Amino acid sequence: MAGYLARRLVQMFLVALVAAICSYGMLYLVPGGPIDQLLAERQNAGQNRITEADIRRVRERFELDIYLPFRFTRWLIGWPAGPLPGGIGADWQIGCAVPGQVRLRYPDGRVEVVEEGCEVPVTMADLEGRKVSRGIVFGDFGMSQVMLRGRPVTDLIMTRLPYTLYLMGVSILLSILIAVPIGVYSAVRQYSRFDYIMTTTAFIGASLPSFVFGIFAILLFSVLAKNAGLPYLPPGDAVGVRDYTIPLIGTVQAGSFLDRFLRFLMPCGVLTFINIAGWSRFVRGSMLEVLSLDYVRTARAKGVAERVVILKHALRNSLIPFVTLLAGILVALFSGALITETVFNWPGIGRLFIDALSRNDYNVVMALLIINVVLLLIGILITDILYTVVDPRIRLT
Amino acid sequence: MATSTTAVPLEETAPRRSEGQWAIVFRRFRRHRLAMFCVGLLAVLLLLSAAAPLIAPYDRDQPNLTGRFLTPMGVDADGGLHILGTDHLGRDYATRLLYASRVSLGTAFTATLISSVIGIVLGMLAGYFGGWVDTIISRFLEIVATFPTLLLLLILSAILVQNINAVPLPNWGASFLAFLFAVSEREARIIFAVILVLAFFGWTGTARLMRGMVLSVRENVYIESARALGASDARILFRHVFPNALPPMIVDFTLGVNGTLVAESALSFLGFGIQDPTPTWGNMLGYAQSYMFQYPWMPLIPALPILIASIAINYIGDGLRDALDPRQRG
Repeated sequence: MAGYLARRLVQMFLVALVAAICSYGMLYLVPGGPIDQLLAERQNAGQNRITEADIRRVRERFELDIYLPFRFTRWLIGWPAGPLPGGIGADWQIGCAVPGQVRLRYPDGRVEVVEEGCEVPVTMADLEGRKVSRGIVFGDFGMSQVMLRGRPVTDLIMTRLPYTLYLMGVSILLSILIAVPIGVYSAVRQYSRFDYIMTTTAFIGASLPSFVFGIFAILLFSVLAKNAGLPYLPPGDAVGVRDYTIPLIGTVQAGSFLDRFLRFLMPCGVLTFINIAGWSRFVRGSMLEVLSLDYVRTARAKGVAERVVILKHALRNSLIPFVTLLAGILVALFSGALITETVFNWPGIGRLFIDALSRNDYNVVMALLIINVVLLLIGILITDILYTVVDPRIRLT
Repeated sequence: MATSTTAVPLEETAPRRSEGQWAIVFRRFRRHRLAMFCVGLLAVLLLLSAAAPLIAPYDRDQPNLTGRFLTPMGVDADGGLHILGTDHLGRDYATRLLYASRVSLGTAFTATLISSVIGIVLGMLAGYFGGWVDTIISRFLEIVATFPTLLLLLILSAILVQNINAVPLPNWGASFLAFLFAVSEREARIIFAVILVLAFFGWTGTARLMRGMVLSVRENVYIESARALGASDARILFRHVFPNALPPMIVDFTLGVNGTLVAESALSFLGFGIQDPTPTWGNMLGYAQSYMFQYPWMPLIPALPILIASIAINYIGDGLRDALDPRQRG
């Protein structure tokens, strides 16, 4: 067991490392990064004059003035952060702050400016005093480059995490509590009217894209209900900024418990419904399988009460495959439902990812991606271990 | 049999001309009423999208700032009737919806086709040859499976759409896609980038399924006899393994189209996929969401086709699964 765990952990570390390298490469090897973004923003704001110093500052903020391999190792393990002990290598060039420009004049009169050489090099000594993360290998995701300029990515994640945990936790719990009884009941009463309605609803629910469902919910419970003068639900955000009045309920103070609760209802409801649609089918399927097994028939033949047969003999065993969903749940708890959070403007991790990506805050994007991969790997490991607990026939080797 | 010497008239031994495999499948499928109905629905959607440039009443991108947010059946200042109203720039909603169907459905089919071909080929290689081929393909599959798909889709799509020049697509390819989707060549390049991203993440499931099918088909006696008769690997793969492993792939393709359609809509809805002025159901819905409080009918118009297409494709997949399952008699 210890050997197995050690091997798995090493494997997990390697996969996570590959994921880190891939995501870094993906984001930084493509042309048109943060500088272009900054130029576009400035131009949109009417500041057409971008000075040399501006460009230099942005390049420094995104560490674009350091050559890619060194930039990568700084991000990965926080090295090099300055000259080696004893001042060795203080004048080694590891980057370029201002690239040299050469004007090429062709015989036909064309003039082309190409970057060549380096006008202002960056040396190891220049790195001293610059902020550097301890490296993502040691759990430091570095600084947010755009959204919270110069503050740790971890801060940003920590402000968003409670919202996601709250939303996902409640909806996952509710979904399990509702999906299991529905699945069991419709398996026991297979082909009954209830089963038919349940399977159809689940089928449609599973094929319904979450953003369409979310928009329908807003349309129905916020827009139409409000227009009709009925009690309605606020359509987005986790906390209101202004008081509002709802028919039959009265004035809701912004930030009060009631306000938070009302805003929580819709995203939670949408997520719960989607989960129930998938999981109840899952429970129904595995319950049907178990109910047709010999030992269930034996129990019935011995005269065990039907209630006991279903709840004690069949249900327990039919929930074993449910363990496989755990890996997904762990990730979902952290990363949230990206689309649902966006539709309802819920300030969770999923939204954070979308915001960071659209504003080119690469350190945040990479941090979330890597945390996601690591959690998924941990989830898979836990699932494999739990399998041996619920099913003693399985051994880890 | 060569050893048989009893003279039996040929007419008697020859079996009655039996129904072909696909005729049986089709007959079974036709019995699934709901699936047949959904085939009809999807056919209507496809026809409408194919005829988009012919039947669209207005220019796709022509803004009309005096006639913004018209209600369905609204009439603008020039007396033009807009069957589904107009959007936030005064562009005709019906026209945009028709073109959007073409882009959305076309993207979904093309991306799924590419990913299915990749998946089937790799799955077949891994399952049939085993050994190191299988090891490499399977390990790669496992690694891809640990990546959070939606996050990667978003990242790749954001990067590629920002740098469409980095996407390798020859000019003739761009003009072909432009013709296929009834868009300009510049827009076709963005659509191509999104198709690439979607196709790259769709093939893993197909490959895994195909590998499993091939592993089980490979053990059949007829494969062994084919090999005994001296058939080459290529012949066995294409004449014997492929046709017998195909039925689940058809279901997989159908459900894959739905998955890709939803993924593309979600990407475009979030603003990372195909972007304005190219209309897709997803980005039309994204814009409509911003205005739904004043104009509540707006989101319904692009949302309903997504729903109809998605549910219809799922039911067709369901019907196909029933029809293709050889364990079912009939």
